[in-house]
Amino acid sequence: MSSPLLFLAAAAAPASGGLGETITKISNDFGLNIPSLLAQIINFVIVAGLLWWFAFKPILATIGERQTKIDSGLKYADEMKAKLDAAQQSIEAQFKEAQLKSQQIVADSQKAAKDLADKQQQEAVERANAIIGKAQAAIELEKTKMLAEARTEVARLVVATTQKVLAKELSELERARFNEAATRELTNV
Amino acid sequence: MSTYSKVAGQLARKFFKLSLVDGVVSPERVAGILEYMEIHRPANPVMVLRAYHRLIAIELARSAAVVEHAGPITDAILQRIAAALTTKYKRPVKAVAKSNPALLAGLRIHLGDDVYEASAAGQLAALAESVR
Repeated sequence: MSSPLLFLAAAAAPASGGLGETITKISNDFGLNIPSLLAQIINFVIVAGLLWWFAFKPILATIGERQTKIDSGLKYADEMKAKLDAAQQSIEAQFKEAQLKSQQIVADSQKAAKDLADKQQQEAVERANAIIGKAQAAIELEKTKMLAEARTEVARLVVATTQKVLAKELSELERARFNEAATRELTNV
Repeated sequence: MSTYSKVAGQLARKFFKLSLVDGVVSPERVAGILEYMEIHRPANPVMVLRAYHRLIAIELARSAAVVEHAGPITDAILQRIAAALTTKYKRPVKAVAKSNPALLAGLRIHLGDDVYEASAAGQLAALAESVR
């Protein structure tokens, strides 16, 4: 029925007066209603406990959970950033490697194309030389053939002319001498 | 060859041997054989006569040298040729002259399948052949 403040007031009161009176006097001066004050205090405690138990505690738990999620999200973001950086570095390395490979392929292709062109040029030269050789051989053969034909034709003309000349110019006496010589030749066989 | 032609050939060869006198075909013997065949006709007389004719023709060709010539040729030349061929072939050979102006000058002798030539045309042909 007395509050700590009332007890303190009663203790500080003069010894001449009674403690109860003092407290009553102060309460009356300040307009305090002790039972009402006690009821309010009890209500306050009950409300504070309920608030603590049913409001602050879940809110604090939710906040803690959110903080944990935020921390894990930040950590995940950092990991993702690191992975992204690693992936970017890997992509750059692969890109550089691809560039090197493409340059190598281009260089190899250019070399192969040059080799092929050189080979084709060499083959073309060889074919041309072979054709020239065959043509020269054919020309030489044709020349030889023409010379042989010309020689044969000349011989034929000479023989034909000689035959005509002999047929016209040989006298009977000369034929008789030739016959005599032929007889000697044939009878000596 | 059938049996008939074989028998005809054998009979023709017998007649042919009878037709020779000293290795020379005798016209009298040939005439006598023909008369005999006319009287005593053999089997297949045509075949026998054909075979006999072929043998006689071959023998005459072997014993007669055809001397082709351009220009004049004398009997002495023919006799010398006949004598030389008779000696060479060891059988009687006659020389028969035949003019051939294509020879230009000289002689060409045919005796059976053999040919001997010494002519201006032959020499020119040999010259043309050697130039080819």
